Formats: sequence, C-alpha cells, structure tokens
Amino acid sequence: MKTEESGIRWGMVIDLDRCTGCGACVTACQVENNIPLTDRQGFAEGRNLQWLRIERYWEGEFPHVRARFLPMLCQHCDDAPCEPVCPVYASYHTAEGLNGQVYNRCVGTRYCANNCPYAVRVFNFSEPSWPQPLEQQLSPDVTVRSRGVMEKCSFCIQRIRRGKEAAKLEDRKVRDGEVHPACAQTCPPGAMVFGDLNDPDSLVSRMARSPRRFRLFEDLGTEPSVIYLKGGGHEHPG
Amino acid sequence: MKKLLLTLVLLCVTGLLLGGLTLLYHLPLDTRDRSPQQPLPFSHLQHAGDLQIDCRFCHRHAETGPVAGVPDLDLCLSCHRHIATDKPTIQQLAGYWDRQEPVPWVRLHQLPDHVYFPHHLHLRAQVECSYCHGQVENMAQMQRIASLKMGWCLNCHRQNQASIDCWACHM
Repeated sequence: MKTEESGIRWGMVIDLDRCTGCGACVTACQVENNIPLTDRQGFAEGRNLQWLRIERYWEGEFPHVRARFLPMLCQHCDDAPCEPVCPVYASYHTAEGLNGQVYNRCVGTRYCANNCPYAVRVFNFSEPSWPQPLEQQLSPDVTVRSRGVMEKCSFCIQRIRRGKEAAKLEDRKVRDGEVHPACAQTCPPGAMVFGDLNDPDSLVSRMARSPRRFRLFEDLGTEPSVIYLKGGGHEHPG
Repeated sequence: MKKLLLTLVLLCVTGLLLGGLTLLYHLPLDTRDRSPQQPLPFSHLQHAGDLQIDCRFCHRHAETGPVAGVPDLDLCLSCHRHIATDKPTIQQLAGYWDRQEPVPWVRLHQLPDHVYFPHHLHLRAQVECSYCHGQVENMAQMQRIASLKMGWCLNCHRQNQASIDCWACHM
C-alpha cells in the first residue's frame, strides 16, 4: 500500500512546563472536529464530549498551593488497549501509527472506552445538536457523528490528509511543521508540537529525546505516541 | 408417473424462483434514482458529445479540489446570452438568472457524509471521468452508471494498489 510506504509515525510532544492550562486547545479541538457542546448536566453525568481535556491537579497545602495542568488527549498508543476489544474493528491501527476510529463501522458497544486507561474516548449518548448559529461553523471535512457512536481524538486526520495531499500533488514528502492539529496550532505558549517521530531531525523527535520526557502510564506498556516533558528547572519559583 | 410430474413441477417452480431472485439481485432497482428528472433538460449528449466541450470546462474544480463542481449560472450564460437564446429552455435558464435563483439541479452522484472523495487526486492518478460517470457524451438525460457503494470503491482501490486504509476516505 502507498500509505505504508510513507514511513511516517505521527506523534506529539507536550511541554508541561509551558502549558498554562488556558484551555485554548480544548476550544480549538471542539471547533475543528465538530464536537457537540455539553451542558452542565451532561458534565455532571460524565457524558461530556471532549476529545481533549485539561486535567487539573492541586499540589501542596494552603497557602502554598499550586495548580498543575495536563492536556489529556488520545495517546495514539502503539499497543492500544482499545483496539483488540472492538468486536467490529471500528477501532484500528493505521500504518502511520495512528489509532483510528471508523464511525460508520462503530456499533456502540463502548468496550474500547472501558478499556482505555486514559479515558479519552467519548460516546455520543444523544443525537448531536448545536445552538443557533453554531451549526453554521461545522467543518465540512469532518463527519458529524450520530448517536450511539464512539469518537475520540484523531490528531486532526483531516489536516494530516490535507498536508499529505499537498505533498503528493507536488511529488514530495510531508515537510516537518507542515501539519498541525488544531490544538497544537492554537496553543499560545507553543507547548504542543506535532510531527513525524520516525524522522530523527524533526522538531518533535528532537524534543522527544529530551531528558525531561515521560509518557503517561508507561508501566502499562501501551507505548503512547504522545510524549510529555516536565521538570528541569524551567519553572517559575513557587 | 404422477410422482415424476410432481418432481418436474417442483423443479420448474424452484428454478423460476431462483431465476427471479437472481434477476432481482442484478437488476438496477433504483432506476428513477439513477436518472431523475432535472429542472431543465440539459443534454450532455449535445454539449460533451456533439460540441465536444471538455468536462473540465464546466466542472472547473475537478483538477484543483475535492469537489468537481456544478457550473454556476454565469458560466452557462456566458455562452447562452448569445447562443440559442430563442429556445424556450434557454429562456427558462435565463429566467433563473433574472430571478437571481440557482437552478435546482438534482444531484446524481451523492456520497454519504462520512465519505471523503477528492476529485483532484483521482484525476492525478489518471482515472478517467468516464470510469465513474460513464459515457456522458452519449447521455441525453444524465444517468448514474456506478453504484458508488464502498465495495465498488474498494475494488478499484485494490486493483490499482491505492490505499485501502479506513481513514483514507472516512474521517
């Protein structure tokens, strides 16, 4: 297959020392991927639809309290726990190391979400709707998922696709920094970097080699493609 | 004797049933869907056939974007302000322009929302327009010749070693 020859392995580096927890990535993701809005009750019921969320942790005792933020999105695991449990192969692994979700194949068993240690898969418990005039801003490149379908972060596959198309039309490879998911593009302090982990010279690979690196729940052996950076004396003094 | 007759009749009935079912399976049942009545009797036979106008003269975005595009009224009228202006159908066409209304063409090649089909990449891969759209230069009334179902897409993708990754088309 042609896609398998591309030799790309998409990955992301998130520098937690840069993250301010502003939530711009969450909004960008919501807008880019046609994610319906969840009301207060939905959140209370744990039925919030978010592909990307900011986890907030409090550290220390009053008055020396500090907030820690961690953007949590699909980790696109190489050994993804969500994939083998899907009875209809709606959750599958692409040749480029992405963890795919095929909406039109999904029958809504929710096994994948239950098996995901990161809790990043969300389920459409109701038919999606947008308050006026927000339905006017839906992206035509992204399917609007119907009720009963599991969905999750796709690393903005429509943007990856567009980047690859542009490269293909010019008979070249995708350049480093050509493709950005909406979250990485929006992040004001530039805490999120996206690129090809197989290319040793790409920015994302260079950052991934940092001694500050760690991956979430590394001991589970899920081999995530999202690498977090933390520590190393770059913090503001508390 | 009676037994033989009965067996023969049974065989005939089974054969007929099976034949009928096979016929039903293969016949295009959506003939009306495949060639619906259009608001204006536009003829590809005349434009693409007799006059040999290139597909891409009217369907302008086929080479540059995912959607080939139906020509806007201005493009139709760029010729028809001067050509065949006395014909009633052309006057009807001009009527849409005067009323500032789009022509409500009935879409024949409609893909579901969850399918992404880029025209420009298929043209770049040297897929002929007629491979999916048929010999439109012979159609007085436009017809859809392909089923446009996923199996049909996949067949061609497999034959030409194109990507059969789910996310290649479903995003």
